[in-house]
Amino acid sequence: MTPIRRELLDSITHADRYDRSPAELRPLRLEAARELFKERIEQIPVLRRRAQDSGVREVRHFADLVPLLFSHTVYKSYPVALVEQGKWDRLLQWLRTLSVQDPTSVDMTGVENIDGWINRLRAAGHMILATSGSSGKCSFLNSTRGDLEMKTRHFANMLGWPYLRPNADRPVFMLGPSSGPNSAIEAAQIGAKLWGRPGDIHFLTDEPLQIAVVSQMAVIRKRMAEGLATPGEIADFEGRAAAQAARMTAALHALTDKILASRHEPIVLSGLWSQHMAIIDRARELGIKDGDFHPRSHISAGGGVKGVRLPDDYREQVDRFYGGVIRGTGYGMTEQAQVLPRCDAKRYHVPPGLVMLLLDRAGEALIEPERGEGVVEGRFAFLDLLYEGRWGGLISGDKVHVDFAERCACGRWGPSILDDITRYAQPGEDDHIGCAGTIDAYVRGAMNS
Amino acid sequence: MNARLDIHTVPLCHVIKGETVHGADLEFGPSNARFTTPRLDLDRLVWLRAEPGPAFDTPLAEIMDILVATGAWLKADPKGWVAEALEFTVKTSPLPRDVLERSYASLSRLFSRRSMEFQVQQELGGADVLDSWREIDTPAGRHVRIRAFPPRLIHIIAGNAPGVAAMTIVRGALTKGVHLIKIPSNDLFTATAILRGLAEVAPGHPLSRSFSAAYWRGGDESVEGRLFLPQFFDKLVAWGGESTIRTAQKYIGPGFELVSFDPKTSISMLGHEIFSSPSLLADAAERASIDATLMNQQACVSSRIQFVEGSIDEVDRYCEVLQPRLGLQRETASAIGRPVAGDLRDEVDALRDMEPYYRVWGKCDGSGLVIRSEAPVDFQPDGKMVNVVPVKRLEDAVRYVNIATQTIGVFPQERKLILRNALAAAGAQRVVTLGGAGTMEAGLPHDGFLPLSRFVRWVNDE
Repeated sequence: MTPIRRELLDSITHADRYDRSPAELRPLRLEAARELFKERIEQIPVLRRRAQDSGVREVRHFADLVPLLFSHTVYKSYPVALVEQGKWDRLLQWLRTLSVQDPTSVDMTGVENIDGWINRLRAAGHMILATSGSSGKCSFLNSTRGDLEMKTRHFANMLGWPYLRPNADRPVFMLGPSSGPNSAIEAAQIGAKLWGRPGDIHFLTDEPLQIAVVSQMAVIRKRMAEGLATPGEIADFEGRAAAQAARMTAALHALTDKILASRHEPIVLSGLWSQHMAIIDRARELGIKDGDFHPRSHISAGGGVKGVRLPDDYREQVDRFYGGVIRGTGYGMTEQAQVLPRCDAKRYHVPPGLVMLLLDRAGEALIEPERGEGVVEGRFAFLDLLYEGRWGGLISGDKVHVDFAERCACGRWGPSILDDITRYAQPGEDDHIGCAGTIDAYVRGAMNS
Repeated sequence: MNARLDIHTVPLCHVIKGETVHGADLEFGPSNARFTTPRLDLDRLVWLRAEPGPAFDTPLAEIMDILVATGAWLKADPKGWVAEALEFTVKTSPLPRDVLERSYASLSRLFSRRSMEFQVQQELGGADVLDSWREIDTPAGRHVRIRAFPPRLIHIIAGNAPGVAAMTIVRGALTKGVHLIKIPSNDLFTATAILRGLAEVAPGHPLSRSFSAAYWRGGDESVEGRLFLPQFFDKLVAWGGESTIRTAQKYIGPGFELVSFDPKTSISMLGHEIFSSPSLLADAAERASIDATLMNQQACVSSRIQFVEGSIDEVDRYCEVLQPRLGLQRETASAIGRPVAGDLRDEVDALRDMEPYYRVWGKCDGSGLVIRSEAPVDFQPDGKMVNVVPVKRLEDAVRYVNIATQTIGVFPQERKLILRNALAAAGAQRVVTLGGAGTMEAGLPHDGFLPLSRFVRWVNDE
């Protein structure tokens, strides 16, 4: 790792980690990006192709990075047939094109499903994370063990900021699975390790998240599209999904009483909005009133609310119920190690080792406002300088407002991101109507949830 | 920043029952394609059922005269409105200027009398059933009468080809009914330009008063919830777009029916004969590239996957011949289309590194790209991109045909005879000789049905 990049990443342990002037950071970040690109272009075939296609030979300005950024879809660009047909070596060949270290020598003999493929890679030091989109096709992102250590160090200096520092001394409740190759689970594992009092760490379930199960949705969709899925097969799939949901509901009920019993000491609790609503329901049954939690507790709520039935004022209800606790939140995504924490003025601050790039709506041009210009809307993109296992440049689908004022409302150096992040409309949501379409539009019923 | 955006904001007018309504009360669209519209007066968008529609009793011959005159008006463009609509369309449409220019130039063809007579004959069995009551003798020995009665329709039209607006207006006029056209955001100006022409050639005529075209944001409940009612309309004629159909479904119920031109995809099948001579190979590639690049591959009829009977080496040879032809300018395609979208580019780039299992010819710059793979790729090829799949026998490709498959171009044409029943059984709607996918003539079945016959209300007198 080059010294400038190292220095930027290491400065996450300094007291002023989210409070350094952009004038000081800018040239360092540009130089680190320049050096990193020079190294990675030799290692990552997809990045090399991008550079060739766009004619970028060297990163001289931040704008040079824009054509080099990947979209999240690049990490699921493999042909899905490779997974269905168990062509694990070919899938390795694909992963190779997005990795720094060559994974193609990992032995896949006897691997039966995608979880086996991931496990073999992880055992060999390729710390694969998988995500799933609504279509069910999973992304696979490579990283190194060292990346995970660096990410853990980042979290140690991000979680609780600016109110608390994790100190391995609290009961921790993470309302998700304790293991599985997924970024939310990895974040929960890191959080549990950093915050948790040994012996007092609780996950919703020890049933590992299996990617093969997550991708069943994609398999059924495909079979329906091909006209092969029978009504019985679809009903069976729905039945299994319902049984899984019922098991998780039962697990939450079991854990809820423990959470409520610990409410007068500082705890860490992290769950989905719908899970918090379920906790509130149980608290009401037990006659527990609003605002009855220890004020140094760190409680976070998140997750999509699509397809979940919640009252309109669910956020307000959750806010009232937990009252004056510290509501932890950060802005990040699977593709990124260095999550942005939220300050006391409810704005997100950029870690020194993260190169934030604000792009236009189309994701094609860098927005570089004049000095001191106010709030600018754009598409969030970044180069995460941390990764040794892959290229850390990504364009997101998020619409953000960045305040380029010299100082954030909290008094620290800007720029900062406002707490109103939404998604840009996907293609097709613009009420453009065309006669062209695919069989996907005909796959209904089971797949709507 | 706003000042800069205003330069791109284009004014859209509405046409309400033959009258042009101007006004920039509302603004819509993404920052690179903003447009303004007049405020909607919902009361004026309906024809109350208390009285018959204006053209219910107009003789078909008179309607055809007006349509022919409208076609001539579109061609002559005496007021410059068609040219203006084209200019505005260029600013807001995803299609490039040259394709739009040629599409606009061919709009008047859809208003030919012979074509209209053919439609009425093929789809309804003649004008008699539109103009009066057709006499029929039943097996029970009764003497009855039926009529193709004028309907009250809302049309949610596709905007990926300007011809859709013209076709909708011609079909609508032939039924004599009342028609509200919801303007699509990817073709904001064609429907109104044609209706303004109609009002010019027949001012105040019942036919002009039978049409309205207006824009509202698709799915806007404050508009659709009040209009999509059986009290005002009989049927919703909806084109493409999964989201259109899904929102429309909310309103479908007794007395308010859906006529759906479903979203479709098209493919090609090339037999081993193409490898028998270089000239035949070139001919096949030329035909296949015509079908693939129709409307720069934005249409349902544009071929996206081609199954080729042959070995990998033979098929690769075909791909080499095909790729440069995708970059030729044609009546329905520009030489360079839009560059391949980012997420699709990722998928293609991933395959480039997976030789020999996949092979890619061409760049993502919009000039045309060919991907050869063992089985069809997971994504929908788009933007002048063709996925070529080798098969041992063309029959092996039938399993990839389904209810979303509209047109299948086959070459050589003799192979159609053997394939067509299997293709139809799997769900396909149209089998053509390769190279002829774009010749969609009104009067033949469309998406598996006869549109005029579905549009009208069939009424009996027994």
